[in-house]
Amino acid sequence: MSDMKEAESAGELKGEEEKDWAEAKAFFDSLKSKKPRPPKPRYAVTIAVSSRTLFDMTSERKIFKQQGLEKYVAHQQEHEDEPLKPGAAFPFVKAVMSVNARLRALYPDSEELFDIVLMTNNHAQVGVRLINSINHYDLTIERFCMTGGKSPIGYLKAYMTNLYLSKDSKKVQEAIGEGIAAAIMFTPDMEVELSDTQLRVAFDGDAVLFSDESEIIVKQHGLDTFFEHEKRFENKPLAQGPLKCFLEALGKLQRKFYAKNERLNCPIRTYLVTARSAASSGARVLKTLRSWGLEIDEALFLAGAPKGPLLQKIRPHIFFDDQMFHIEGAMELGTISAHVPYGIGQKYNRGKLIEENPQKQ
Amino acid sequence: MNTDDDVKQFVTGVVSLQKDPSRAVVIAISHDAVFDLKEEQEPKAPAAASGVLNPGPGFPFVKAVQRVNEKLVEKNPNETLLFDVILLSSKDRPKSQSEVANSIKHYGLEITRLCFCNNENFTSVLRSNKVKLFLSTNTDYITKAQDTGVPAALLYGQRGTATLDQLRVLFIGDSLGFSEDTTDRPKDEDTGEDQLQSVQLTQSSLEDLVALIGEMRRKFGRENSPLCACLMTVCSPRNVCVRALKRLRAWGLEVDEAFCLAGAPQSRLLAHIQPHILYDHGLQYTLDVPALS
Repeated sequence: MSDMKEAESAGELKGEEEKDWAEAKAFFDSLKSKKPRPPKPRYAVTIAVSSRTLFDMTSERKIFKQQGLEKYVAHQQEHEDEPLKPGAAFPFVKAVMSVNARLRALYPDSEELFDIVLMTNNHAQVGVRLINSINHYDLTIERFCMTGGKSPIGYLKAYMTNLYLSKDSKKVQEAIGEGIAAAIMFTPDMEVELSDTQLRVAFDGDAVLFSDESEIIVKQHGLDTFFEHEKRFENKPLAQGPLKCFLEALGKLQRKFYAKNERLNCPIRTYLVTARSAASSGARVLKTLRSWGLEIDEALFLAGAPKGPLLQKIRPHIFFDDQMFHIEGAMELGTISAHVPYGIGQKYNRGKLIEENPQKQ
Repeated sequence: MNTDDDVKQFVTGVVSLQKDPSRAVVIAISHDAVFDLKEEQEPKAPAAASGVLNPGPGFPFVKAVQRVNEKLVEKNPNETLLFDVILLSSKDRPKSQSEVANSIKHYGLEITRLCFCNNENFTSVLRSNKVKLFLSTNTDYITKAQDTGVPAALLYGQRGTATLDQLRVLFIGDSLGFSEDTTDRPKDEDTGEDQLQSVQLTQSSLEDLVALIGEMRRKFGRENSPLCACLMTVCSPRNVCVRALKRLRAWGLEVDEAFCLAGAPQSRLLAHIQPHILYDHGLQYTLDVPALS
């Protein structure tokens, strides 16, 4: 996926892009208010967030479900000037903004920054309330797409999105199918204090950073076979999973801090939180990361223990996992979690195969 | 004014839904945008039938407009606020005129008038026909029309990919969203007196046009409308886009879709939005947009 941005630079297209970019740069530079200008999409780490992940729209959603689209839009218009409350992705967005501030201070002319785009299915009229809310919290989100009901997938590609966060599982699955890292955000059951100086991102291993090939072995042949298999293929890198490219993008930004001697004070920290055990199946994972040239700051092998308590100590701004069982466990203890609907894990619930067509009485 | 040049040819045998010409929203489009004129270029595909021209880049637009009219009349058989598409043609190609008339009938297009003009008088032809919107793929003509106060827009789209089911109109909002008293405005540039006047002239006709489109749009629900209005800002920050949205709303049109690019590559987005027409006053922001495939 990181290759996507490079691959799409046919000569003519690049020329046009440069022009679009130069116009916006000139505009922003000439503004009386010294707003930070958004980076060039080609070089940026672009995160697209939906309206429901950025803001808490539960009561509005209820109106939509119970009273229909027209009443919902009317309601939003009536309350246009009332800011919405923060949603699940809000802390993540704030943390990303503070990383950008550090990057701008160290590299004033660089385009390698985070870029947050509001990508919503909402009608443009609802968008006014969304932008008013963004203004209220002073978020640096300059780009948005309000698709008025149409699928955002094509627009995700047009904005060269590196990560898409939404509450809609269908859209997230579609995005993953198109090679875009994506996850379904959940709001935790309790609020936990998070760092406002360091962005912390936690990843599950199998079927998130890596493919689900080993997950399949566990589900179909059991743990013992899994351990044997992983030992035997320890030196064969796993195939990549849907979030690998996002980890890569984070690594690219981390290295910019290292280059300026800021490794100890780096405002981005990544964690691997895996049910694998260090003794038996962990080596393959570390070797795979090494073969990809990727670093992860902390690798935590739980050997099957629940992830909730450990995540509670880490306090990530977001935790990606493919299995709802782990997502639920994490949320119970206050971790903001994002479900990656990928791989064999989707067919199982707590270790049992979900029946495709449940028998009706 | 020499009215000889302003001769209209009425295309016979075409069914028109027009009830009241004074209420019609007249859109003028050059005939060589609607059809492929064989004499101008090598035929890209064999002709649909003898004496009939192949569709041009403006063809999907005409079909989509027709569908809006049909849906409006479906809702209200006595509807008077309808689109009225007229073709502009220069007189010095009599052969193509009959081909155009044949083609209109062949494709079942709801076009009853073909107006003749030349480079010099075309803007007066626009005004005498009460044209509310002029469409072209030629940026010089667009600027010319705008300079004399007629809103003019670019025909966008690649042959074969534009939808026929929904008329999609896109406004570039960067200049619509400026405000005197905010910090989101670029430092003052020297604007000539003439330029200022022409901007104001076109702005009031644009307001009229927007109000009419808004009135038509309101006859349909938020979903499944045959008419869709979109707004895009190309290089401005988010608040300019919101102000443009509110301005259009104040003029009577609630846009359905909005995009704030703030410097992101335009052509990618446009290729996905697929509008039929792109309104950009002064063509400041879209000069390089590929209008033809």
